[in-house]
Amino acid sequence: MGPGLLKSADWPLLIDLYFFLGGLAGGAFVIATIASLLDARRYRDIVRMGYYIAFLAIIPGPILLIVDLGVPTRFLHMMMVSKPSLEIGMSALTVGPFHLKLLSPMSAGAWALLGFSVCAFLVALDVFLEDRGGRSMRILRLVAGVIGGFFGFFLAAYPGVLLGATARPLFISAHWLGALFLVVGASSGGAAIALILSLLGGQARESLSRLMRFTAFALVLQLAALVLFIIAVQMSGSTGIAQALAKLLAGPYSLTFWLGAVVVGIVVPLALQLGGGIKKAAPGMTALASALILIGGFLVKYVIIAAGQAT
Amino acid sequence: MARTLAMFTDVSLCIGCRACQVACKQWNQLAPEEPEWTGSYQNHAHFTDKTYRLVRFFEETDAKGQMKQWHMMSDVCKHCAQAGCLEACPTGAIYRTEYGTVNINQDICNGCRYCVSACPFGVVAFNHDTGTATKCTFCNDRIHNGLGPACAKACPTESIRFGFRDELAGKAKQRVEELKKLGYKDAQLYGEDTNGALGGLNAFFLLLGKPSIYGLPDKPKLPQRNVIADSLLSIGSALLVGLGALVAFRSRDDKGGA
Repeated sequence: MGPGLLKSADWPLLIDLYFFLGGLAGGAFVIATIASLLDARRYRDIVRMGYYIAFLAIIPGPILLIVDLGVPTRFLHMMMVSKPSLEIGMSALTVGPFHLKLLSPMSAGAWALLGFSVCAFLVALDVFLEDRGGRSMRILRLVAGVIGGFFGFFLAAYPGVLLGATARPLFISAHWLGALFLVVGASSGGAAIALILSLLGGQARESLSRLMRFTAFALVLQLAALVLFIIAVQMSGSTGIAQALAKLLAGPYSLTFWLGAVVVGIVVPLALQLGGGIKKAAPGMTALASALILIGGFLVKYVIIAAGQAT
Repeated sequence: MARTLAMFTDVSLCIGCRACQVACKQWNQLAPEEPEWTGSYQNHAHFTDKTYRLVRFFEETDAKGQMKQWHMMSDVCKHCAQAGCLEACPTGAIYRTEYGTVNINQDICNGCRYCVSACPFGVVAFNHDTGTATKCTFCNDRIHNGLGPACAKACPTESIRFGFRDELAGKAKQRVEELKKLGYKDAQLYGEDTNGALGGLNAFFLLLGKPSIYGLPDKPKLPQRNVIADSLLSIGSALLVGLGALVAFRSRDDKGGA
């Protein structure tokens, strides 16, 4: 079929922004959880900031999603309806008025967003109370931190899986979009923590440099996932799909893709890291690299979605 | 489930009159739209929220670009046995009826538009006035009262036939044999095979050539088939990220891991 016969959901920039913030929140939360499990006292700044960022970044998420709906007042239908139909898909589970469709990433994602938000709120509240001189509820922090970490991974990856489960030519043979979005979430979560810590100053440089080492590793994964995505799409062989890929790599979206997503978002920050600017954790350098990673993390999601939706 | 109902569209009988398109608009009370000049008799270019039946016109050319044959095909929602829109829908608004057709419950749909991009045939359209997704229902109100869809009733050449799926499939196979005897070597059914792509289409077609001549995908794929593989790759990358974080934050060089 000529790809022209297919339709596009035309999800606007609001949705790109949600995908970016959701991934960033999930990534920051996972980093904070792993750092706190390994050495909560030593990485206190990273853990605090990671949990705060995860909570703040997820607050706009539901709002962006609801505003984008055709009938925003029906947002709860994502999870429940008062009279559910019986035949709503092969992967549907229903309990009373609630439903979950395992093969619909949007359905699963709505539940993951709820689960993540609850964990992010509880952990951020615990961190806040501790900051105010109270005692941390260790059990709560541990349980909500680990469960929220799984939800965080899910939140970062599911938009990519969702795109892969559409009929759009650029997405339907891509397979690597979930993996790509997940590692973009990890790199942007790490970069967000590093950016704020280096702007605030005064933190232990050693732990910041470890965070930047992790973020650089996530960037390498990001580059690998991007390459695998392009190879998978290229190898699918259909002309419609090749045309869709050409839009991204050589067409109207190529400048944003190559300059924004690849050079600014991956190559320059990695070069700064390898050049030793971040190893010494000079705050200015770290802040610069982190800001570039964040810009690139948004652009890579934006440009792939825009090129895939263009007809 | 009641016996599956289906629609059989035989393009060899289609004369491109568009009575089906008009009957669909009238029965379903779909508002008029500005014409789109597509360079052929086809109007509109695509299914829209106000066009559920669409007669497509295709000019088949030979290798030299010379006109070879003119094709007409009255296109409609395929009511796939494995429907991309239905599996995608996060609200349960899209459901399968007892007759095997696929409908969108307008009181539940919240306008997320996932189904629009998940349809392998570009059928589902978003209605900006109601904020919901819409498509052909096989005239759900009519078929529940034994009337048959408006398009099939209006078709003057019986190019569009409606009935029980198993009966129609038998007639369709007979018709292919007849056409082959008459010299239409490439006559073939599209979507009739319930073991084929998407578990079979409940609106299936008799085509006079390859599906691609009619703009149809040779092997339509259920997009949700990707979910498991894509999720496994995501889990793999999550493991790598987790491992990377463990290595990066491992306390090895001071204070004995304090």
